Amino acid sequence: MTRRRRSPIALVLVLLSVAAGCDAGPEDEVTRITVMVSGDPEEIDAYRAVVTAFERSQNVVDAQLLPFADRDDLIVRLSTSIAGGQPPDLFLMNYRYYAQFAARDALEPVDSYLRMSDAFSAEDFFETSMTPFRWQGEQMCLPQNVSSLVVYYNADRFVQAGLPLPAEGWTWDDMVRSARALTIDDDGDATPDVYGLGVDPEIIRLAPFIWSNGGALVDDQAAPTRFAFDAPALSAMQRFLDLRSVDRVTPSDEEAEAEDAESRFLNGRLGMLMESRRVVPAFRTISSFQWDVAPLPILSEQVSVLHADAYCITAGSDAKEASWRFIEFALGPEGQRITAEAGRTVPSLRSIADSDAFLEPASPPLHSEVFLDQIPRLLAVPVVSTWAEIEDVANGIIEEAYYGGGRALEVAVELTIQTENLFARAER
Amino acid sequence: MDQHERRGLWLMAAPFVLGVTVLVVMPAVGSFAMAVYEWDLVRPPRFVGLDNLRELLDDPVFRISLRNSLLYAAVAVPLRLLCALGLALLLYGHSRLHAAGRVAVLVPTVIPDVVYALVWLWILNPIYGPLNLVLGAAGLPTPSWLSQPGPARWAVVLMGVFQLGEAFLIVVAVRRLVPEELQEIAAMSGAGRWGRLVRVTLPIMAPALLLVAMRDTIVSLQSTFLPALIVTAGGPPPYATTYLPLFAYRNGFEYLRYGYASATTVVMLVLTASILWLLYRAFGRWSRRAWERA
Repeated sequence: MTRRRRSPIALVLVLLSVAAGCDAGPEDEVTRITVMVSGDPEEIDAYRAVVTAFERSQNVVDAQLLPFADRDDLIVRLSTSIAGGQPPDLFLMNYRYYAQFAARDALEPVDSYLRMSDAFSAEDFFETSMTPFRWQGEQMCLPQNVSSLVVYYNADRFVQAGLPLPAEGWTWDDMVRSARALTIDDDGDATPDVYGLGVDPEIIRLAPFIWSNGGALVDDQAAPTRFAFDAPALSAMQRFLDLRSVDRVTPSDEEAEAEDAESRFLNGRLGMLMESRRVVPAFRTISSFQWDVAPLPILSEQVSVLHADAYCITAGSDAKEASWRFIEFALGPEGQRITAEAGRTVPSLRSIADSDAFLEPASPPLHSEVFLDQIPRLLAVPVVSTWAEIEDVANGIIEEAYYGGGRALEVAVELTIQTENLFARAER
Repeated sequence: MDQHERRGLWLMAAPFVLGVTVLVVMPAVGSFAMAVYEWDLVRPPRFVGLDNLRELLDDPVFRISLRNSLLYAAVAVPLRLLCALGLALLLYGHSRLHAAGRVAVLVPTVIPDVVYALVWLWILNPIYGPLNLVLGAAGLPTPSWLSQPGPARWAVVLMGVFQLGEAFLIVVAVRRLVPEELQEIAAMSGAGRWGRLVRVTLPIMAPALLLVAMRDTIVSLQSTFLPALIVTAGGPPPYATTYLPLFAYRNGFEYLRYGYASATTVVMLVLTASILWLLYRAFGRWSRRAWERA
């Protein structure tokens, strides 16, 4: 019997692996960590830049970025990998969704790391962004941003229409008036080609207007047991619902399905858009018109809703120290400068938020300070373990009413009934 | 069949039996076990007995999902079966044109499901999608496929109808087994094309058609998952195209309620078995008699 000859390719591979093995000394000291994030391609690019800079800054921790298109995909992968005993070391998540993992003891509290850190202390961060990530007295995650809902506007369209630009103190009626003037049917087919406003009919978009009108969202913000819409809340909700069915300043259901509001704004066919800081990297690709940001319009008082994401270390990570090292970099001055300059974040670190990296970058928006001015007026939705479910149910009801001409009272009743058992099942 | 042949058959079947045991039977048994626990796969499971099933019965979203799944099966299975049969009778021949037709029918089935769903997301776009552009050009109504409950449900059925390749192949194979002599005898007895189809071809194919119908019922209760997840997102809101697989997926993987999701899959298993039993009871004897008569 003759032996088969090894192929030359196999031999080369063996030699390469031996050579790699000879150089394995320092490799052994490298700790590998995995970091899960979600977002648009432009957002992911910003996170990738942070990871690249982190790897350049040291040679003992090797960070691998695991990007996902949206938070649902991230949650699915996160929960199954935790269940499979191989969780990622770190993940980035909004304060509205991390509680389901905190309630299940799947997170490593970061208080002790924070106390020992030379990179920063708790006081270096905006308190507004820290508080929602405290779970039963412990700081579970550390925020990377302190974003909020604002109004993006196409400045060229405002100028062409002879409208005053949105600014601090403008009211809901000002917004509706501008939106009406900016809703234009170019070709006379009775369907507007440009809409004045784009807003997703979701609870996170509706909430700030309920608060702005002096209303309440839930019965007890710290320990909510149900939605509790009072008269001011119902009034604000009705005005929100009227944007489509009465004012007709936002795209119809069919038009929204055909093209989302972000894309409409990018293409210059939307006068205003209510969004968080998230969209800035994509909007910086706009070259055909000038755009900027303004605070939300007022119903009774100036309020907005917090949008904050944080890095959380999983309890099952076997590289917690290395993970913390990554957090120190990503949320330290250098990491926050990178994401701020990319446009993605309103930095949670005060020193970077007040720096040129955020306030005076070479690219728009011109008035980034709007985000900082909002910080003292930001409110957060309740942090409970079932909030992801509550939002899914609530958004379905609100969307149906928004496009179907629903009445606020009916929506409030429906929301309260449909989410009752979800609040009852919630851990706080 | 001697012992040697039997052993050979078992050896050939072994990989499939092993695969079915590991990938289907064991997870199914696991689902039954998990259905009586509250388990998020992070904390230790907590025994809750039949509480998950009781909660399902009270859950309005589950009831809507169940109704949607049953409606889908009631519409999609006969439609897919009729289309598979019609196309097989048209394309079972041996010419190049027939072969090209068979390939065209098979293509939607071999495209990866996610790609297939994304293609439909574009096709069904209410304003820019080719389907509504064609309907509009022909002066026909252009439904809002993704924002109205009725059209959205039909859209999911439509996506399913084009993925009938496996059923189509079985029916083609069975059609080719129908002896041409029988057709000739029937023709000599004065039977026209329709008569030969009804009195000879279909009765001989009846047992295989029953098998295809049963298989399609099983598939139809599961195949709504990706279209509902990617194309319609379970809506239009609140739950127009939320079917049982999507309901189970969301509860398990998004809300970490694996026990509750498992209880849903148990209901799906029982439901599927019940429908199959009913189908067999209703049409099993008929298909045997049709075969014997032919």
